[in-house]
Amino acid sequence: MARAATHLGPAVAAALTALVVLLEPGAARANPPDTYGFASRETAMGNAASADSRGFAAGYYNPANLVLSKGLEIGVGYFRADHHFTMNGRDNGVDPVKGLNGGIVAPGRLFGIPFAFGLVVHLPDDRISRVRALRQEQPRWELYDNRNQRLYLAANLAIQPFPWLQIGGGLSFMSSTRGSLDISGSANVLQPDDSQLRHEVDADLTAIRYPQAGARVALSERIAVAAVYRGEFQLGLDLGAHLAGDISGLTTARYDLQTHSVNNFLPQQVVLGGSWLLTRDVRASFDATWINWSAYVAPVAQLDVLLDIPPPAGGWPATITPPQTPAPTRIAPLRMHDRFVPHVGAEWRALGTRKLDGFVRAGYEWAKSPIEAQTGLTNYVDRDRHTFSVGLGVTARGLARELPAAVSLDVHAAISELLDDTTRKTSAADFVGDYTARGRIVNLGLVLTVAFDGWGGKKEEQP
Amino acid sequence: MSWRVVVRPALAICALGLALLVPSCATTGAAGEGDRNLPTTGVGPFRKLAVDEVPGIAPFVLDDRTALYREPAVLAPEGGGDGALLYAVGRREGADVIIRTRSDDGRSFFGTSGDFGKTPPVVLAATLPWEGSSLSGPFVLRVNAEVLLFYAAEGGIGLARSTDGGLVFRKEPAPVLTRDPASPWESTEVRAPSVYLLPDGRLRMLYASGAAIGEAESADGARFQRVDPDPSTPAVEPVLQPAPPAEPGSLLPNERGPFDTARVDDPCAVTRVTPAGRFHVRVLYTGIDATGASAIGFAARYGDAGPLVRNAAPVYSVGAREAAPALLEVPGGSYLYVQQNRRIDERLTYTAIAAAFAPGTVKLPTPLPFPDSP
Repeated sequence: MARAATHLGPAVAAALTALVVLLEPGAARANPPDTYGFASRETAMGNAASADSRGFAAGYYNPANLVLSKGLEIGVGYFRADHHFTMNGRDNGVDPVKGLNGGIVAPGRLFGIPFAFGLVVHLPDDRISRVRALRQEQPRWELYDNRNQRLYLAANLAIQPFPWLQIGGGLSFMSSTRGSLDISGSANVLQPDDSQLRHEVDADLTAIRYPQAGARVALSERIAVAAVYRGEFQLGLDLGAHLAGDISGLTTARYDLQTHSVNNFLPQQVVLGGSWLLTRDVRASFDATWINWSAYVAPVAQLDVLLDIPPPAGGWPATITPPQTPAPTRIAPLRMHDRFVPHVGAEWRALGTRKLDGFVRAGYEWAKSPIEAQTGLTNYVDRDRHTFSVGLGVTARGLARELPAAVSLDVHAAISELLDDTTRKTSAADFVGDYTARGRIVNLGLVLTVAFDGWGGKKEEQP
Repeated sequence: MSWRVVVRPALAICALGLALLVPSCATTGAAGEGDRNLPTTGVGPFRKLAVDEVPGIAPFVLDDRTALYREPAVLAPEGGGDGALLYAVGRREGADVIIRTRSDDGRSFFGTSGDFGKTPPVVLAATLPWEGSSLSGPFVLRVNAEVLLFYAAEGGIGLARSTDGGLVFRKEPAPVLTRDPASPWESTEVRAPSVYLLPDGRLRMLYASGAAIGEAESADGARFQRVDPDPSTPAVEPVLQPAPPAEPGSLLPNERGPFDTARVDDPCAVTRVTPAGRFHVRVLYTGIDATGASAIGFAARYGDAGPLVRNAAPVYSVGAREAAPALLEVPGGSYLYVQQNRRIDERLTYTAIAAAFAPGTVKLPTPLPFPDSP
C-alpha cells in the first residue's frame, strides 16, 4: 500500500496538470512524429514500436505501453531533421524540422489496477506553428514543407487490467485558425505618407482534439502484439479581410475577402505490430501502419472576393487602371491513395552489467508515396521513401546516492532517401513543365531519460 | 576524492539536460523557405518591371514618342552574360525600319528616351521591290557564326544575314515565305516570323497569317516549305488557331473567358529539352479577343510535329494593348519584351517597348548605366 500511495501522488498531480492542459485551448499542435519518429530509441528501431515503446515515447507510439513503466519517468531530448530536397537537381530549401522532444510518465495504482498517465510534447524551436497558403500550381514538397512545422502535444491514460493486457488512450491537440483584418481610412495615392489608415487584426485559435488509443497483449514472456488507432483531424484556416475607405478624395473603395482552407490534414491511422524477444539480449519488432491518405484534403484556399471601386466623377485618370475583381480558384482535386507502411527494428543489448546496460539498435521503414503522379495542373511533390536508422543507448543505475534512479541516454541517426523520379506533364503548355525530384532527410537526435523507480531497482524484461 | 565520484555524474546529467533545453528556447523563426529553385518552363507568368528596376518610366525599356518602337526581337550576347541585343521596328522618316540597340543588363537600353542624345541605329530598311516601303516583325537567331534576321514586308517574309555579330546585314534577294493563296486560313500576307532550330539542324518557322499561326521548314533558311500539323487531312492547317469562346454557363463568377478568341499573332518560339528528355517547343504569342483587347499567351508542344496546345491563362496581361512578345532567358529567370501603349495623358498615347520578368517573386537589382554604344 505504501508503494501504491507513493506512486499515486505524482500520478494524480500529473493528471490534474493534464486536465488543465485539456481545458486550455492554446497554440497549434501537430504531429511531426509521424514523419520523423519520436524519441531516439524508437526512431533508431525504425519506428516499429507499437508493442515495444518505452517511457514517455509510448504517448505517441502506443498509449497502452505507458503502464509498463514501473516508476516516474521524465525524458527530454532534441532532434533535428534536415531536408535536402531537390527538383531538377537544385535544392528547394525546405526548412529543417527541429526541436525539443520530451515527456513524462507517472504510473500508479487505482483500485488495485496499475495505471499510468503520460504527457508528450514536441516543441519546435523555430516556430510554434506555420500557416502557408500556396497556389495549387506551385510545386511544393507537400508532406514535408509545411505540415511538420508544428507543435505536438498528447495526453494519455493507460491501465493494465490483467498482467498480459495493457489498454491506453488519450487526446492529441491541434488548433484551427480564424482571423480577420479590417482596414479603413483614407489612402492618398499621390502622397502615401499622408494616408490615414486604421487597421484591426483579430485572430482566434480554436482547439481541435483528435483521439488515439491502443492496446498491447503479451502472448508470452517473449512475444507481444499491439494495435493502435490515431484519429483524423483537419486544421482549418479561415481568414477574412475588409478594406474600406476613400482614395485621395477621388472615389471610395471596398474590398471584402473571405478565404477558407485546410492548412493541415492528418489522416487516420491504424497500426498493427509485434515485438519478439529473440534471445535474452536481442529483440525484434515489426509495425505495419495503414494510413488513410485517400481522405486527404488539399491545402488550397477557396476565395470569395468582393471589390467595389466606383469610377470617380469624370472617369479614371489616364495613368490609373482600376483593378478588377479576381475570379475564384478552380480547385483541381488532389488524389491520394491509402498506404501500408512497414517498419522493422532490432535491439541488441551488447553490454549488460549490474550498473550498466548498453544497446545497439537498427531499423528500416518504407513509405510508398500516397500522391498520384502530378501530370496535370497541380504539383504536390512527393517520392517513395526508404528510411534506414541506427542508434545507441546506455542505461546506468546507481550513479549517485542523490540520484536514486536509472539514467538512460539514447541517440539515433536516420537517413531517408526519397527516390529520384521524373514527373512528366500531360500538357506541353504547363507553366511548370517536366521535372525530376528526389530528396534526403538526415535525422539526428538524442534523449535523456531519468527513471526514478523500476529500472533502478531491478532489470525487468518486457515481453 | 569521493565527491568527484558522486557529484560529477549528477552534474554531467544536469549539464546535458540544460544543453538539450537551450536549443529549444527560441520561439520565433524566419518565414521559412521551401520555394527555392522551383521548376518552371521559363515562360511566365510574368510581372511587369517595377520602378526601381528600370532606368526610366517602368515598365518601359525602349521608348521614343516619334520613333514608336515596337515588335521587339531579342538575342543574348555572344558568349552569354546578362546583356541583351534588341531589334525592333522604329519609325524613321515616315517609314518603318528595323533598329538595333543593346543593354548590359537587359533593362538599360542604348538610345531610349532617358538616354539623352543617343539614337539606335537602323540595321535594315525596305530597299527591295518585293518589300514595299516598310518592314515589320523582326526575329533574330544565331546559327553557327551567323546572325539571321527574319522580317516581314509587303510581299512576304524575308531573311538577312550578318557575319559581324548582328551589326551589318545582307539580305536574301527574294522572300523566303509568301502567302499561299490556296490556303483557306492564310487570308493575309504572311508576317511575324519566328524561327527555331530542330535538333538535327533544320530550321522551323512559325508565322502569322489571317487570324492564325502556321509552321514551315527549311534546311538552310533560303526557302521554307509549309508543315502540316495534321497529315491525316488534305489541307495544311495552322498549328495554332483562336480559341473557341467559353460555353455559356461554364464560367465562374468574375472568371474571364479565353483571351484569344479573335486572333492569334506574333509567335515567338524558343525550344529546350525538358528534364524528362523531351524536345519542347514553347511559343509566346499575342492573343486578341472579340473586343480587341490583347494579352500575351503561351502555347507549346512536345516534339517537332503536331499542333500547339495553349495554356488557358495569359502570361502577361496589363490592358495596354500588349503584343509582339520576345523572350530572353537569363540565369535565374526570363525577360519578356513586348510592345504596349504608354499613356502620357488623355491626348497622348504611343507605343513603346516594355519589359517583364519571371518568376514574379524575383526582385531584380538596380539597373546598370546605359551602354556607350548600340
